[in-house]
Amino acid sequence: MDVFIQALGAVFNPLSAVLVIVGTLFGIVCGALPGLSTSMAIILCLPFTYTMSPDLAIVLLIAVYVGGACGGSISAILLKTPGTPEAVATTFDGYPMAQKGQAGMALGLAVTASSFGTIFSAIVMLMAAPLLAKVALSFQSAEYFALGLLGLSCVTSIAAKDQLKAALSVILGLMISTVGIDSINGVERFAFGQPFLLNGIHYITVMIGAFAVAEVFKNIEEYRHRDNTLQQGSVSIELMKFGEMVKMWATFVKASVIGVIIGIIPAAGGSISSLIAYGETSRSHKHDAIKFGEGNPRGIIAPESANNAGVGGALVPTMVLGIPGSPVTAVIMAAFMIIGLRPGPLLLRDQPVLLDTIFLSLVFAALLLFFGGRFVTRQFGHILKLPYPLLGTLIIALGLLGAYSFQNSFYDVIIMFIAGVGGYLFDKFKYSIPALILGLILGDLVENSLRKQIIIGDGTAMGFVTRPVSLVILLMVVFVLAWPMFSKLMGKRKSSAA
Amino acid sequence: MAAELIFNCLVGLGIVFYLIQAFSLPPTDNPTDVLGAGGLPVILGILGLVVLAAITVRVFRARIAVKIPMFDLGSLDGRSLALNVALLFAYMMLLDVIGFVLSTLLYLPIAAWFIGYRKPVALAVFTVAVTTTFTVVFGILFVVPLPRGIGQLRELSYMIY
Repeated sequence: MDVFIQALGAVFNPLSAVLVIVGTLFGIVCGALPGLSTSMAIILCLPFTYTMSPDLAIVLLIAVYVGGACGGSISAILLKTPGTPEAVATTFDGYPMAQKGQAGMALGLAVTASSFGTIFSAIVMLMAAPLLAKVALSFQSAEYFALGLLGLSCVTSIAAKDQLKAALSVILGLMISTVGIDSINGVERFAFGQPFLLNGIHYITVMIGAFAVAEVFKNIEEYRHRDNTLQQGSVSIELMKFGEMVKMWATFVKASVIGVIIGIIPAAGGSISSLIAYGETSRSHKHDAIKFGEGNPRGIIAPESANNAGVGGALVPTMVLGIPGSPVTAVIMAAFMIIGLRPGPLLLRDQPVLLDTIFLSLVFAALLLFFGGRFVTRQFGHILKLPYPLLGTLIIALGLLGAYSFQNSFYDVIIMFIAGVGGYLFDKFKYSIPALILGLILGDLVENSLRKQIIIGDGTAMGFVTRPVSLVILLMVVFVLAWPMFSKLMGKRKSSAA
Repeated sequence: MAAELIFNCLVGLGIVFYLIQAFSLPPTDNPTDVLGAGGLPVILGILGLVVLAAITVRVFRARIAVKIPMFDLGSLDGRSLALNVALLFAYMMLLDVIGFVLSTLLYLPIAAWFIGYRKPVALAVFTVAVTTTFTVVFGILFVVPLPRGIGQLRELSYMIY
């Protein structure tokens, strides 16, 4: 109890409160701007922490992390340009809601779900950090491969309209992911001697092109034929009413559980958890009145809850084992070391107040996100009042800047342009851009873990089925893939019986 | 239908090229690395061709016409879109020649004008505001090394960011 009171004192004092406010808002802004990642936001804050006490530094960094994890949804909803990779799945239903004039509701849902996910993960972290870290460590190549396949299987729900074209889109995404140096034996693949291709084609640039630029192209050709007065409405953030939230409690909890579990697994990341949570939610609620991909509120709640639940989850192996599971937690771990803390098994023993301080910082930042997020998102919401020719060119310039600043490379801008034209054609011929991105994001994980496990198994693939966790996840993959066919068959039987 | 068939042919050619490259990847020295560097790409290439063939057969059967305004330069929408695509390409190419600030100052008003916006004063204010905001936020605040251009323009850019 003394430890908790000490942590309360460290977090709930005027200076900490200011740092949480500044950190959360800064994180939201950086997350919302494509090309500026959460890790960059934390890096930019690092110099300010040098002279702070460890408690204050932790409060600031955690607040930035929480804000950044939520900020990506703002541009995903308003501009169809995910500010962070974790916000990819938020575009699927967030942007259609904004197009229907429900941008305020969509942003409110994102903020509510992000806050819930953060608090949920903080509670889980406090209750079970050491135990969860041990479970996460048992993950090896077989489990990673199974997890990657589970992510890919989401294609059956995120692109349900035309499964064949969705399958080809995933395959094309996986093919693009193989460009660059093969990480197992260092062979150069499909790079044609071009240095910029050796590091591969990153999904951020493809995403900006295929989602944002392609959407602008589509809007330009429709501009003269549509009612352009619709976008002049004001965007006021509508937070979800408690009653409505209770009705969707299962989506919040299920997505948060997925987010925490995947967040804990090193290198799995928020983009995978948000895609899996979206896929699972769209599978289990496919009979909703509003279809997924057309502005279903659950399509925002699931990825945003999962994404922010990953924040607390990712901090577990970082603190307890000293293993940063993602680039963001790697930066946080470096920051901990700079301020004199050494993440690892002894950290919680030597610094008993630390876990409670992080827990309270997460809760404080989440509450601020819930109440203060209104203000920031409303400012971004004004963007929608712009006439489309201005909004479209703004999106293009921001997308170009995002692609360029990602690696400070002109070639990324060219890839963005190609992805933009490709995305436009994909849309015309009813191929699935989310499925392409899914393949591109998960390609590395699937190939590397598949080959590593085969190498570990002396050239056999038995390890995938002899390891219990891997087997369970693979059975889940089979279930997810077979479910649409099974439910269709059952539907036919029912109708023929009637 | 013709447009989609052409698209499918181009995708098919891309996959065949990918497959040829995948087959030419060197085999691995490690006997337990059964797949090697080319294993998964070969599987993906073959799978891609099979799925593409199935889609193409379906396109033949359905015979649904798909209109692509970008390639219909006779229509106003097509011309507007094609011009904007060309403008974006020019914007990209100019970035490394005249730098971020100048190329953005040129791109924003011309592109918006081609889309159909006809309020010069608002356009000028928008252009200057966006260019200034982006330069300050990305170039100065977040220290992103924005393209500077060449020659004198490069030297001048150091005075801004």
